[in-house]
Amino acid sequence: MNDTKEPVSQEKRRRALKTLALGAGTLAASGTLPGQMGHSQAQSAEPIRIGFQVHRTGIGASYGRWYDRTTEACVKKINAEGGINGRPIEIVAEDDGTDPKRGAEVVEKFASQHKVDVSFGTLFSHVVYGSAPRAGELKMPYFVVSEGHHVASGNLNRYTLQPGITDVKSQVQAMAPFIAENLGKKVTMIFPDFAFGHDHRDYFTQAFEAQGGTILEKIAIPPTETSFTKYFPKIPRDTEVIYHVMVGPAVLTFVKELGEFFGPSRPEIFGFIDSLEAVDMASPGLEFLEDTYFWEGYPRYAQQDQSEFDKAYREAVGVDNNGASISDSKDISTYAHMFGCWETLHVIKAGMEAAEYKTTADRSKLIEAVEAMSDMPHSFEHPQGAKIFNGKTHQTFGHQYISQLKGGKLELAHTTSIEDTLYDDETDYTQQSF
Amino acid sequence: MSKLAKCSVTLLLFLYAIQGKAHTSEQGFVLLLPTDVYISAGVVAVALTVLILAILPSHIITAIHTEKNLFHLPRSSSLSRYTSLLSFIALLALLIVGFNGPHDPTKNMLPLYIWTIWWIAFVCLQATFGNLWHWVNPWAGVYTLLPSTRIQQSISLKLPEHTGVWPAVIIYIVFSLFALADPAPEDPVRLAIVVSGYWTFTLMGMLLFGGSSWLQRCECFTVLLNQMARLSAIGTNKNRVSIGLPGWQLFSKPIDSSSIAFFLLTLLAIGSFDGFNETFYWLEIIGVNPLNFPGRSAVVNQTTGGLLVSVSLLVSCFALCIWIGVFLANRQHIEKVSFKTSFTYLSASLLPIAIAYHFAHFLTAFLVNYQYAFVATTDPFHDGRDLLGLGRYYVSTGFLNTPSTVKKIWLTQAAAVVIGHVLSVILAHSIAARLWKNTNRALLSQVPLALFMIFYTLLGLWLLAAPRGA
Repeated sequence: MNDTKEPVSQEKRRRALKTLALGAGTLAASGTLPGQMGHSQAQSAEPIRIGFQVHRTGIGASYGRWYDRTTEACVKKINAEGGINGRPIEIVAEDDGTDPKRGAEVVEKFASQHKVDVSFGTLFSHVVYGSAPRAGELKMPYFVVSEGHHVASGNLNRYTLQPGITDVKSQVQAMAPFIAENLGKKVTMIFPDFAFGHDHRDYFTQAFEAQGGTILEKIAIPPTETSFTKYFPKIPRDTEVIYHVMVGPAVLTFVKELGEFFGPSRPEIFGFIDSLEAVDMASPGLEFLEDTYFWEGYPRYAQQDQSEFDKAYREAVGVDNNGASISDSKDISTYAHMFGCWETLHVIKAGMEAAEYKTTADRSKLIEAVEAMSDMPHSFEHPQGAKIFNGKTHQTFGHQYISQLKGGKLELAHTTSIEDTLYDDETDYTQQSF
Repeated sequence: MSKLAKCSVTLLLFLYAIQGKAHTSEQGFVLLLPTDVYISAGVVAVALTVLILAILPSHIITAIHTEKNLFHLPRSSSLSRYTSLLSFIALLALLIVGFNGPHDPTKNMLPLYIWTIWWIAFVCLQATFGNLWHWVNPWAGVYTLLPSTRIQQSISLKLPEHTGVWPAVIIYIVFSLFALADPAPEDPVRLAIVVSGYWTFTLMGMLLFGGSSWLQRCECFTVLLNQMARLSAIGTNKNRVSIGLPGWQLFSKPIDSSSIAFFLLTLLAIGSFDGFNETFYWLEIIGVNPLNFPGRSAVVNQTTGGLLVSVSLLVSCFALCIWIGVFLANRQHIEKVSFKTSFTYLSASLLPIAIAYHFAHFLTAFLVNYQYAFVATTDPFHDGRDLLGLGRYYVSTGFLNTPSTVKKIWLTQAAAVVIGHVLSVILAHSIAARLWKNTNRALLSQVPLALFMIFYTLLGLWLLAAPRGA
C-alpha cells in the first residue's frame, strides 16, 4: 500500500515542495493541499505524541544530532501540511545514551510517563535489541531506523518495524552483482572483528559466491587496532577487489596506510560509507581513495540529475549540495542514514491515516495498516527513492547507491534495483498475536 | 620493554588521561598528526624547566612567587549576599526548566548550564580570575535570610576539628561517581533531583553546623573552587589586590592540612581517570569492544572500581615520591622535615596540573555544548521561542571535521598540559626551597617528584593523542 496522501498535480506538488521546504506552511494553512486539514486546525487539536528515542550522548551522538535535525524538519513539514488526521505531531525526545539498558528504560518512560502514541528513531543495533522486547511487552509500536537485520531476521516482535530504512543484509547483498560485473571476481575482505564486520563478511560472501565470485581472504582486524600495515601482507597478490568496512577513529589511518602499502598500483577498492559517514571526503589523507567505490544509503552529494524531492528534502533539513550543513560547509551530515527518520515519520503518518488512528487503543490497527503497505513511490515523503515494504518481515527494501570518489566528491556510478536487495522471508510477524 | 617498565606504564596510564568527548573524525585527524614530535617537545620543555630550576639558587626560586601589589579595594560590602541570592534565583529557574523542560539533555538548560557553563567554564574562570564563587555560590545569600544563629544555638552542633575537609573528600568522590559512573548524569530530571537534593543537603548542613564551617569543610565545590582561586595570577589579601606568578597565593596561607592534600590528590586522580575510561586501553582492560561500546549502564562497576583505584594509586605514587624525597633530603641532617609536612605542603604543587587537565579534557566538549546552551537559552521549553533572537541556528561540529582546527585544538590542549606541568614543577621547587631552607636539600627532595611530573607530562600528552571508544 502506498502512502495515503491523495494525488496532486505535478505543478501543485512542486509548489508545495518549495513552500513546505521553506517551512512557510502557508499553502497547507490555507487548505490548498487536497486531503489535508488546515494548519491552524491541526495546531488546535490534541497532538499525536511520538516518542523519539535518540542517541544524544554516547557513541551514537554524532548520528543522533542529525537524526534529531531531520526529525524536527520532518515534523515541521508534516505539521505545516496539517499534521496527522488533523492533529499536530508532538515529538517527545529522550536520550538513551546509546545504551541498551537505558533504551529499554526510555521505552518504559514513553509508555508510563509521557503517554506517547508510538515511539521511533533508534539507530544502534544493540540499543534496538535492548529496547524492542520492552516495547513488545508494553504493546508500544516501535519504529526503528537502524539498518540492522534484527527486525527482518525474526528476532524481535510484532510491535517493532523498520519501514524507513533498508537493512544491512539487503544492502550488502545488492553490492555483489555490481562488484562481480564491474570490479573483479576475486575479493579480499577487510573488516573489524565484531558483529558489524561479521555481518558484512557473511552476507557478502554468500551473495558474491552466488555471482560466481571468490573471496580470497577474510582479514578480521581486532577492534582495538590502530595501525594496520602488518595486516596488509595477508592480502593475496591476485586480489582484484578489496572490500573494506573499517569503522572507528582509526579509519583515516587505515586509508593512509593502505595507500602507502599499495602506492600507485592498487586493486579496485570498494567500501561502505559507514566508514566515512560525516567525514569530509576532501579531507587530506583520503586522496588514496580517489576513483574507489562506496556504497551510499543515499548519495551525499547532489547529483546532476538530482530529483526535486532530494532538493526539497535538503532544503528542509538545512543541508547543502555537498551534504554539509547550510550554516557550516565543514559540518558534514550523516546523509546516508538520517533520511530514515524522515521516511519513517511519513510511514507513521500514512499508517495512522489509513488506520484512522485516534487513541492508543488503535495501536494494533496502526501496526496492521503499516503491515498492509507495499509500494512506496519515490516522493517528497520518500526522497531516498522508491521502496517496497514487506509486511511479514516488517522490513522495507529499496534502491542502493554505489558512488565513485571523483575529485573529493562522490559521484553516483550505479543504482541497484530493488530486486537486487530482496531475499527470502525469514519470519512472518503477522502470525504473532497482539 | 621490561616487565617493570610495562607495569609502570600501565600504572601511570591508569592515573592520567586527557580526553574530550569522542568524535570520530576529530580523533581520526588527531591520529594522523605527528603527535610523537609534539609530545617529545612538551616533555623536553618540562624537563628543561626542572634543569633550570636545579641550577638556580633557592633565594631566586623563592622570589619567583613574590606578588606585586596593585591597589587597595574599599572594604567589602554585603554585595555578595545579593549576588548569591541572584545566583540562587538563577539556579531555581534552571531547576524549573530541568524538571519541566525538554527531556533531551542537549536542549534543556539545566544539564548544559551545570555541566558546561559551570563545571567546565566556571571552574576555569575561577582559576583564572580568582574567587568568583564567593559572589555566586547559591547558598550564602539564602543562609543570611534564615534565622541561622537561632537554629544553631538551639541545636549547638559543631564539626570536630579533626574532620578537616574529609567530608568534602567523600562528597566529591560521590559526586564524581555520579558524573562518571552513573548511566545518565545529563538526564534533565535526574540531574534536577540531584542538584536540588544537594542544594537542600548543603543548606541543612549549614544550618546545623554553621554556614562557613560547612562550606569550607564539607561543601566539596567550595573547597575545590577556593583552592582553584588561589592559582589565579590576581588575588586579594586584606583588601589589597596583587599580581604574581600563578601559585603565589598558595604561600600566603599554605596548605597545612593533610585532608586538603588528600582532596587535591583525589581531584587530580579523578580528573585523570575521567577520559582514560574512554580510551581503547581502558576498554581493553575491562574487556569492552571500543567500536561497539555497550553503554555506561554496562560498565558502572568497572568505572566505580577504576575511579577508586585511580585515587588510591595516585595517592600512593605521590606519597612514594615524597617519601623518597624526604629520605634523600633528610639524610645526615639533624634538622629534619617530616614526611607529613612535605606531603601536605607539596600537594599544592599539583593544582596547576589539575586545572590544566580540566581545561584540556573538556575543551572540545565546551566548544560544542556552549552552542547548545545558547540554543536552549533562547528557547528554554523548546516551544519555538527565540528570546535571544538567534533565528534559525544550527549547532555545528564542523571544526572537528577540519584538520587545521583539530590541530589547533590539540595543540591548545597540549600547551595547557605542558604549561600546567611547568607551573607545577616551579611551584614544587618553590615550596621545597621554603621547607628545607637549603638549596641542595630542596633539590634532593625534588628529584623523585620532578621525575614523576616529567613522566606525567609524557603520559598526559600521549593519552591526549590516544584513540577513544566510549
